[in-house]
Amino acid sequence: MPNNPLLSSYAEQPQVWDEMFQAGAVRPEYQAFVAALENLAGAEMTRKDELAKKLFMSQGITFTVYSSGEGIEKIFPFDVIPRIISNSEWLRIEAGIKQRLKALNIFLKDIYHQQFILKDGVVPAALVYSCPQFLREMMNVQVPHDVYTHIAGVDLIRDHDGEFYVLEDNLRTPSGVSYMLENRSITYRIFPDLLPKSNVLPVKGYPDLLYRNLQALADHQTSDPTVVLLSPGIYNSAYFEHSTLARLMGIQLVEGRDLIVHNHFVYMKTTKGLEKVDVIYRRVDDEFLDPLAFRPDSALGVPGLYWAYRKGNVAIANAMGNGVADDKAVYCYVPDMIRYYLGEEPILKNVPTYQLENAEHRELVFKDMDKMVIKRTNESGGYGMLIGSAATEAEMADFRQAILGDPRSFIAQPIISLSSTPCYIDGKLQPRRIDLRPFALCGPSGIDIVPGGLTRVALREGSLIVNSSQGGGSKDTWVLGN
Amino acid sequence: MLSRVADTIYWLGRYMERTQAMLQVIRIQYIASQDEPHYWGWLPLLYAFGDLSDEDIAKKAPHTPQVLYHLIFDRENGASVYHNIVRGRENARAVQDHITKEVWQSLNDYYHLIRRDDMAHLTLGEDPVSGLDALTQQSVLYVGTVQNTMPRDEGYLYLKLGKFLERALQTVDLLRINQHLFDQENVAHSPELRYLLYGLLGYELYVKTYQGQIDATSVLELVLYNSDFPHSLRYSLEQLLRYCERLKDKSRPESYEQLRFLIGKARTTVAYSTMHAQQPGALGQFLGQVRGELLDVTAALSNLYFGNG
Repeated sequence: MPNNPLLSSYAEQPQVWDEMFQAGAVRPEYQAFVAALENLAGAEMTRKDELAKKLFMSQGITFTVYSSGEGIEKIFPFDVIPRIISNSEWLRIEAGIKQRLKALNIFLKDIYHQQFILKDGVVPAALVYSCPQFLREMMNVQVPHDVYTHIAGVDLIRDHDGEFYVLEDNLRTPSGVSYMLENRSITYRIFPDLLPKSNVLPVKGYPDLLYRNLQALADHQTSDPTVVLLSPGIYNSAYFEHSTLARLMGIQLVEGRDLIVHNHFVYMKTTKGLEKVDVIYRRVDDEFLDPLAFRPDSALGVPGLYWAYRKGNVAIANAMGNGVADDKAVYCYVPDMIRYYLGEEPILKNVPTYQLENAEHRELVFKDMDKMVIKRTNESGGYGMLIGSAATEAEMADFRQAILGDPRSFIAQPIISLSSTPCYIDGKLQPRRIDLRPFALCGPSGIDIVPGGLTRVALREGSLIVNSSQGGGSKDTWVLGN
Repeated sequence: MLSRVADTIYWLGRYMERTQAMLQVIRIQYIASQDEPHYWGWLPLLYAFGDLSDEDIAKKAPHTPQVLYHLIFDRENGASVYHNIVRGRENARAVQDHITKEVWQSLNDYYHLIRRDDMAHLTLGEDPVSGLDALTQQSVLYVGTVQNTMPRDEGYLYLKLGKFLERALQTVDLLRINQHLFDQENVAHSPELRYLLYGLLGYELYVKTYQGQIDATSVLELVLYNSDFPHSLRYSLEQLLRYCERLKDKSRPESYEQLRFLIGKARTTVAYSTMHAQQPGALGQFLGQVRGELLDVTAALSNLYFGNG
């Protein structure tokens, strides 16, 4: 353990993989960073922490919580100590995510066309048809270049043995990428020179890659396609991200009320009249996209958008109906999909998952409920779940009852301990649990993943929930070059 | 540019201009209430910038702190300075990718300033002039930031159109509130005329231009026709025309022609009029006509450019 009191007072947790330390010694990927940290006095760290907060606030890197009609801006808590991933580890993660997305993309094409995977009995048809995100409206729709999952944010966690597991494939409208970009822009301000010295790979190429992929989705007859970002508007908690991405790509940020469908073509209302829109990067959920096809009460969508899409007059990223592939119950079959479609063994493991529709699984889970995490298949953001080790008897009984009432809507997984990493909290380094969400971009020319992603931290002591809505924060994620 | 974005920016311009005009008028009225033995009371301002019933107005009017609270900080008053700033900032948030970071930050600071408890305490309890000065300063900072950082693109033109339309309307409304000063013999009203000039930031220019006693005809001439005075009706209308003409290649020809016609009409109404004091009823009729023509301009912008038709 190094000599600096900041580092030497840090206590590793037993049975938990620590990202920075291994049995008291610093892991190789952290050595350059720890060496720089050793020369810092305690007060200097506090100053850096304060500087980071100030930079976030003054640059307006915030998310908004609305109460009593007024917007209160909060900064997304940021921890100054970066999470560092070695190059070899990253290459494995990258290959694993690419493999997974390739399979998921083929799965979506298959499920909305010939359905070979159902006919061959690899995935049960009942599971797919009972998924509320399976859209019959997408059957036999030709999507440009057969790409469904243009933007994916795959959540990875690391168990106590250091193995990475995929927790969720977010294939609908994953968010957080702007924080990945902003975290990096803050880190080089608070740790001058450290990024180039440590050979950290850059993440700034993300908006260009995304724009290139979006542009490629347009009809080839159009020489200068108009790409827009469709946001639910300023009251959405991710509005900052929408406006940041639109600005970085130099595209219009539109809301549903700015768009109009005429003769199955999409137009935006401008001061010079109507202007045709070719590609929509939408951050509005499927069910709100078109009140004529989906929820009739949606004010966020565009009437007629579905038919314009179906006719191929507008490209939409991500495709509609992706939810069937990232359903928590369908998730169990992703390794099988990889074997079925690609003939390969999965590089990244799934967390073992029990489907509670299966009576044997259900019995097993009910017996060991205190060692399980139980999740609703259609909820996200850390809601609708029960962590057995922290739940009361009454909560468990409630869940048991709910599961028996509707077993398809629940899955259970053994509690994975989640790796931890030092965070600078209250002037000390303290271990906190983390996950990792790299962002993958699938385009006609293949899959690109910017080296890094969003590392989310459960800032509450002992907590395993990293979601920002539930007391989570984030860290900059460094992937080291060769 | 998206119609919604243009609309939002235009209203940002209006809200901020309205805020500045209100603060200046309230500041001057407050000073008058302290300095004038025969102060004429808060009634006209409560009618112009408040949303109270006649009964509540009568109750509040004699109590300066209550009036100041209602006009500046009252969150229940949809026309208060506080509400203008909140709306201006909300608009800025919705078009963050069309304004500069600096403009956004100055509006964000303004919002945080007016929400501070010590600001209300200073304005309502300690020294209202210092409180109003601090708020006005933030307005001026916003104006300077716009001037220094905003690209002169389409968004800027809508921001300016909003600003000068609002300024013209504010000037008309302030004259309407004070119509009685111009209808009769002017000597008895000279303190009110002086405060009217202060409220429009025109006192110094008046003194320099007319060098003598304040008389109603000269005040009217300055406020209506002086093209060097930035709060005169004529100046605002000329600026409107100027920014409208820059929209020419950014508009549909028929929209542009219509807007240009309406602004030109309002400007002509002012430029070719010869208003002077002591013409009972004439000023009221004239101001009503100009106000109507300005509202036609706002309706044309809304229908032809912002897609609200």
